[in-house]
Amino acid sequence: MALQTKKKFCYFKENGIKEIDYKDVKLLRRFVNDQGKIMPRRITGTSAKMHRKLVRAIKRSRTIALMPYVERGID
Amino acid sequence: MRYYETLYIVDPNLDSKILEKTMTEIEQELSKTKSKVINHRVWDKKRLAYQILNHKYGSYIILQFEVGDVTKMVDFDVWMKLNNIVLRHMTVLLSQKPEIYEEGNSDDGKVEQKRVSESGEKVPSLPESEKHEDSETQSSEELDIKEEGE
Repeated sequence: MALQTKKKFCYFKENGIKEIDYKDVKLLRRFVNDQGKIMPRRITGTSAKMHRKLVRAIKRSRTIALMPYVERGID
Repeated sequence: MRYYETLYIVDPNLDSKILEKTMTEIEQELSKTKSKVINHRVWDKKRLAYQILNHKYGSYIILQFEVGDVTKMVDFDVWMKLNNIVLRHMTVLLSQKPEIYEEGNSDDGKVEQKRVSESGEKVPSLPESEKHEDSETQSSEELDIKEEGE
């Protein structure tokens, strides 16, 4: 029996979001792991264009201390 | 025209008078660049993701403006960096003209409205969860105080 994998989709394309605000931490948190690292788009399914915007937004929010550079994961 | 947004952090325990004075000083400094201030308001008090100058909490203040002389923005940036009351600041270029903020219409609400209009009913509503988040921050603040006391 073939494995059924869930089809990935771009969250932003799906929800019609064109611009990502660096102040919207709740949204950005979806795209970082427990350590605070940005997840690769092969996992999140984000389109290349939106991933570039997402990375910029996350890095901006890190600069202004809205998001951490490094977060301690679960021990 | 170019529109910029400066987000800066100040000590949350500052007196309201000192805060107002600082905000007017910043506006005066910005006027040297012939800029026109659109919004200048306290956004929120938040727990910082990491400590800045031994501060765990900070008041975030948003300053949105239409820049006049772009070449003088460097001086403004340096002035902000040298300002002791400002813990950290960041200026970014906005893609479009910001809306004039009116009290009672929160920024987060604006994001929410935008999402709903663009995506229909797909996105779950944020405000309730954010209220919950606020209560979390308050409780964590209390915890911190207790820890320090011990």
